[in-house]
Amino acid sequence: MSRLSQSLVLTLLGGVVLWITALTTSYLNYVKPGFRPFLLAAGVVVLALGVVGLVQEWRRPYANAHDEHVHEGTGKQAEGHDHSRAPQVGWLLSLPVFAIVLIAPPALGAFAARGEDAPIRPPATTGSYVPLSAEKITPMAVGEFIGRAWDFRERTLTGKRVRLTGFVVRSRKKDRWYVTRMQMSCCAADAIALKVAVRGAAPPPDDTWVEVTGTWVSPRSRKIPNGTVPPEMTAIQVTEIPEPSEPYE
Amino acid sequence: MPDRVVVESSTEVPPPDWGRRSAAPPVTPWLFALLATLLVIGRLVLTPLLTAPVLQTWATVFVAICVQALPFLVFGVLLSAAIAAFVPPSFWTKALPRNPYAAVPVAGAAGAVLPGCECASVPVASGLISRGVTPAAALAFLLSSPAINPVVVVATAVAFPGQPMMAVARFAASLLVAVAAGWLWLRFGRASWLRVPSRTAPAGSKWAEFRDAMRHDLLHAGGFLVIGGITAATLNVVVPRAWLTSVADVPVLSAAVLALLAVVLSICSEADAFVAASLTAFSPTAKLAFLVVGPMVDLKLIALQAGTFGRAFAMRFVPMTFLLAVVVSSAIGGVLL
Repeated sequence: MSRLSQSLVLTLLGGVVLWITALTTSYLNYVKPGFRPFLLAAGVVVLALGVVGLVQEWRRPYANAHDEHVHEGTGKQAEGHDHSRAPQVGWLLSLPVFAIVLIAPPALGAFAARGEDAPIRPPATTGSYVPLSAEKITPMAVGEFIGRAWDFRERTLTGKRVRLTGFVVRSRKKDRWYVTRMQMSCCAADAIALKVAVRGAAPPPDDTWVEVTGTWVSPRSRKIPNGTVPPEMTAIQVTEIPEPSEPYE
Repeated sequence: MPDRVVVESSTEVPPPDWGRRSAAPPVTPWLFALLATLLVIGRLVLTPLLTAPVLQTWATVFVAICVQALPFLVFGVLLSAAIAAFVPPSFWTKALPRNPYAAVPVAGAAGAVLPGCECASVPVASGLISRGVTPAAALAFLLSSPAINPVVVVATAVAFPGQPMMAVARFAASLLVAVAAGWLWLRFGRASWLRVPSRTAPAGSKWAEFRDAMRHDLLHAGGFLVIGGITAATLNVVVPRAWLTSVADVPVLSAAVLALLAVVLSICSEADAFVAASLTAFSPTAKLAFLVVGPMVDLKLIALQAGTFGRAFAMRFVPMTFLLAVVVSSAIGGVLL
C-alpha cells in the first residue's frame, strides 16, 4: 500500500466511525452506550492520521509521488520494517467501511435469536428481587422477568401484571410466539437471546417491536430445569412500538 | 532484506526536480471525492437490496467486532509507535541484567509495562537483539509484551465482565510461557539458527517517523483484525450452534481447537479478547488457550518471524512456543478458572 492508499483507507474508516458514533446512534447496534467516548477518541485519531496523510500526499510534488510507485514492486517484503509502506492486508480495513455504509447492519433480530433449542443461560441474579405492586403494571426488562420466573423460592411474579419490551420471534408452535431481547456483555458478537413465550395473542410478524402486558404462567411441572425452556406469559395487551434507540439489554 | 531500508534512504538525496511543483494536477482530492460519491450512491442504490437476514446478522457481528476492538487497537498502536520513535536504543542494554538467565524473566516482565502490538513486537525484538540484548531475553519480551501489557489486560477485563480471573489467568500463563520459552532457547538454542538482523537507521524527523510507524501498524494490525472478525462472524452465523457445542463439550479437544483457531485467525492481541468472548459455547479454559496462543503464535507472526529471524529460527521457535502455550494455559485454566 502506498502512503496515499493508506491515508485514504484510514480517512474513510475514521470518518465512518465518527459518523455512526457522533452523528447518529447506530453505534448502539454494535456496542454498549458507555463505549461512546472511546469510539469517538479512536475515530478522531484514525481520521486525523488519514487526513494528515492525504494533505501531505496532495502537497507533494507529482514526480515524488510517481517515484513511490516505482518502488511499489518491492513493497511486499516491506512488512514489519519500512514504515512508509504498509502491507497489502491493510486494504481489508475498508471492509468494515463498506459493511457499515452499504449494508447498514441493524441490531441483531429474529434471525440471530432463532434456534428454539439454543440453550439460554440464566441471567446472573444479584440478591433477591423487590416485591412488585399488585395494582400497577410494572415495566420490566426481559432478563429480570426470566430471573424472577426461575426464582422458585420467592415467586415474586405470581398474579402480577408486567410489561415487557422486545421484538417478535415467531415460533413453530401455533399457540405462542416470543418477545425477545438480545443481551450483550461486551458487543453484539457475544449477544445471547432472552426469550419469553407469549400466549393468548396473535403473532405479529418477525422483528416487530412490541410492548406486551401480561401475567406470568407458572410452569406445570417443576421438574423442567431452569434454562431449558423460556418462561411463559399470558398476554393482556400487545402494542406495536418503534424500535428503541437502545436495542440491547 | 534488512538492508533494503538503506536503499530507501537514497530518497534523501535531492531528486532532480527538487522543489519544483509538477504541472500534472494532484490526484488525491479527486480520488477521495470519487470514492465518497461511490459510497453515497452505493448507500442509496444497494442498501435497500442488501436486506437478507443472514447477511445483515453477519454484518452486524462483523462490524461489532471491528468497532469494539478499534479503540484498543488505536491506543496500543499509539503507544508502541511512541516507544519506537522516542525511546533511545541505549535504554534497553542499560536496563537489563548482565546474566542472561536473569535477563530473561526481567525482559519478560518488562512486557507488562511496555505496550506493544504483536506486529510491532517482532521489529522491536529484532531491534533489541541488534542493540546487543541477549537473544533469549529479547525473545521472552517478544512473546510477553503483546500478551500481558496494560492495554491487553484492560481489554480482556472489559471483554469478560464478571470474570476477573480471566485477565489474571491470561497474564500469569502468558508470562510463564514467555519466560520458559526464553530459558529453553538459552539452554538449547544455537546462535547459527538465529539470523541477527542488522540495525536500520531512522530516517526523517521523530514526528514523521511516529506518524509513519502508527499508520503502518494500524493498517497491518487492523487488516488482520478484519480477517479475524470475518472468520468469527462467519462461525457465529453459518456454523450451527450444535456443532460448536459438541466440540466445546470435549475438554482437551476444545482447548486444542481454539488454540488452532487462534493461530489461523491471527487477531491482534488488543482485540482478540472480544473474539474469544463471542465464542460463548466454549469453556473458559479453552478461551484462555485461545488468548495465550494468539499473541504468541499465529499465521502473521510466523510470517513476520521467518522474515526477520530466518526460517531455521521459525521452524524451531514456533512449535516450541505453541506446545508450551497450550500446556501452560490448560494447567493454569484448570487451577484458576
